[in-house]
Amino acid sequence: MRVVIAEDQFLLREGMASLLKEHGFDVAEAVGDGPSLLRALTSQRPDVAIVDVRLPPAYTDEGLRAALEARRQVPGLPVLILSTHVERLYARELLADQAGGVGYLLKDRVFTDEQFTDALRTVARGGTVMDPEVVAKLLARRSGQPPVARLTDRERQVLELMAEGRSNSAIGQRLVITEKAVSKHCTSIFAKLDLPPSDDDNRRVLAVLTYLDS
Amino acid sequence: MVAIMRPGHHGSMESVLNVRPRQLRALGWAALFPAVMCLCFVCWGARPWTWIAVSAAAAVTLLTPAVAADLLAVALLGFASYAFALIGRNETLPPGSGTTAGYPFHSVVFGSGPPHTVDLAAGLLMLAVGAWLVPRTIGVHSRLSRRNGDLLNRVRRLTITRVDAVDTAAAELRRIERDLHDGAQARLIALGISLRATEGLIRTNPEAAVALVAESRENSARALTELRALVRGIHPPVLAERGLGDAIRALALDCPVPATAEVDLPGRLPAPVEAAAYFAVAEALANAAKHAEARSVHIRATHAAGALRIEVTDDGAGGADPSRGTGLRGVERRLGTFDGVLAVSSPPGGPTIVVIEVPCGS
Repeated sequence: MRVVIAEDQFLLREGMASLLKEHGFDVAEAVGDGPSLLRALTSQRPDVAIVDVRLPPAYTDEGLRAALEARRQVPGLPVLILSTHVERLYARELLADQAGGVGYLLKDRVFTDEQFTDALRTVARGGTVMDPEVVAKLLARRSGQPPVARLTDRERQVLELMAEGRSNSAIGQRLVITEKAVSKHCTSIFAKLDLPPSDDDNRRVLAVLTYLDS
Repeated sequence: MVAIMRPGHHGSMESVLNVRPRQLRALGWAALFPAVMCLCFVCWGARPWTWIAVSAAAAVTLLTPAVAADLLAVALLGFASYAFALIGRNETLPPGSGTTAGYPFHSVVFGSGPPHTVDLAAGLLMLAVGAWLVPRTIGVHSRLSRRNGDLLNRVRRLTITRVDAVDTAAAELRRIERDLHDGAQARLIALGISLRATEGLIRTNPEAAVALVAESRENSARALTELRALVRGIHPPVLAERGLGDAIRALALDCPVPATAEVDLPGRLPAPVEAAAYFAVAEALANAAKHAEARSVHIRATHAAGALRIEVTDDGAGGADPSRGTGLRGVERRLGTFDGVLAVSSPPGGPTIVVIEVPCGS
């Protein structure tokens, strides 16, 4: 799997590159600023890109903008955005095209190899991965409102993990329940939230995120 | 009930109070000078005493502000009284000795010859011109002294806001130091200790070492979380990355109460103004959610006529008293540094409207 990395801090860039090589990824290019990221994304067409939001030259949101621009030119180009902070605003912009192949995680998650590489693979497959903090922010505002308040504690846990972009089997492993139990919870959640049921993992995540963000 | 806090407000009250007494004082002097002249000439004629007394009166007049305007009027009134003084003097002179000896100005100003009628006419003319001129020069005077008063108020206000700014910055630094000391610094020390312990255990007791490494990771994650919260409090990342418009949109999205944002701002504003406005909106939203039990909030941010204006309106319980909370006070002080104002209207039963206005070019 070919990966492009955009990160301006040398240590983190090299650390990420060696971590990915260990896990069998092929690092096609590692860049350190916005303009070279856009060039790398459009010329390399990687299977997935890892992009830091804040990049030189201006250290604002060059990374995010380059990624969004690359996705405009190459629709559905899988991009995993990393940042030291997460904003619902950015998550919304990333999800706006509903094309999938999008991830948005805190940089801290890189420490946990499996979570990070799992997320990377999900995004490369066209899936959607949201940081638990984004999901928590989305749920915080909704938790008092009737449809979300009607969910049981277990259903809430499942909803959270679902919104983060995990598959049924991953949710099952995490909560130590069977996959069948997870899918039962999912059916019940979708019914309570009045969402059309969907077997497609990615469409399911997008539906849940769109619901929570509306 | 409308509670309004306006840092600039007490300033304009003062300037009103400042101008009035000055105008009165100028009038007083204007009347005093000819009166003194009149008295001197009537009593003494053109003797050294007269000149000393007249000079003293002129000196006192000169000491008042905006004298140039007053002086013209005073001089004309002075000539008028001089003329009357002549008449009065002539009438007290022994019959037949109607000369103008001892009145050195007389021949210069009124020419030679019998003084009576010419003096009277000249005196009346001068008086008329003086009466016409005085209200006008007082107008000029008050304009000049108002400018003076405005400048004085400006200096006073700048002194206050500068002290506020320095205090706020110092308190902020203390808070950051404390947060770093108790938070990230403590975590990093713990991290160093567990790494040190891991070093010792890695061969002898690998299992315990693995547990320690997991603990270290936990500690570093916590340190990061705390640093993130701290950074948000100092300068929110979204503000640095996107500017005020998107930062307000982000605040609206994160607000526990459903909030809508209507932003019409041209490009980026000066960074300190953006930060002050951001924290003002954050405080208003927090109040709406915490105290007002609002169901919805609307934020409107515009930039017109060289000023940034933000309105935060909620449909909550109202009755907010900005003088009691420390939050809005802090916001007001911070805005004051940029001559910004904060106004709160919050009648019982709502709605609460918080308006922030900061003068700034785009």
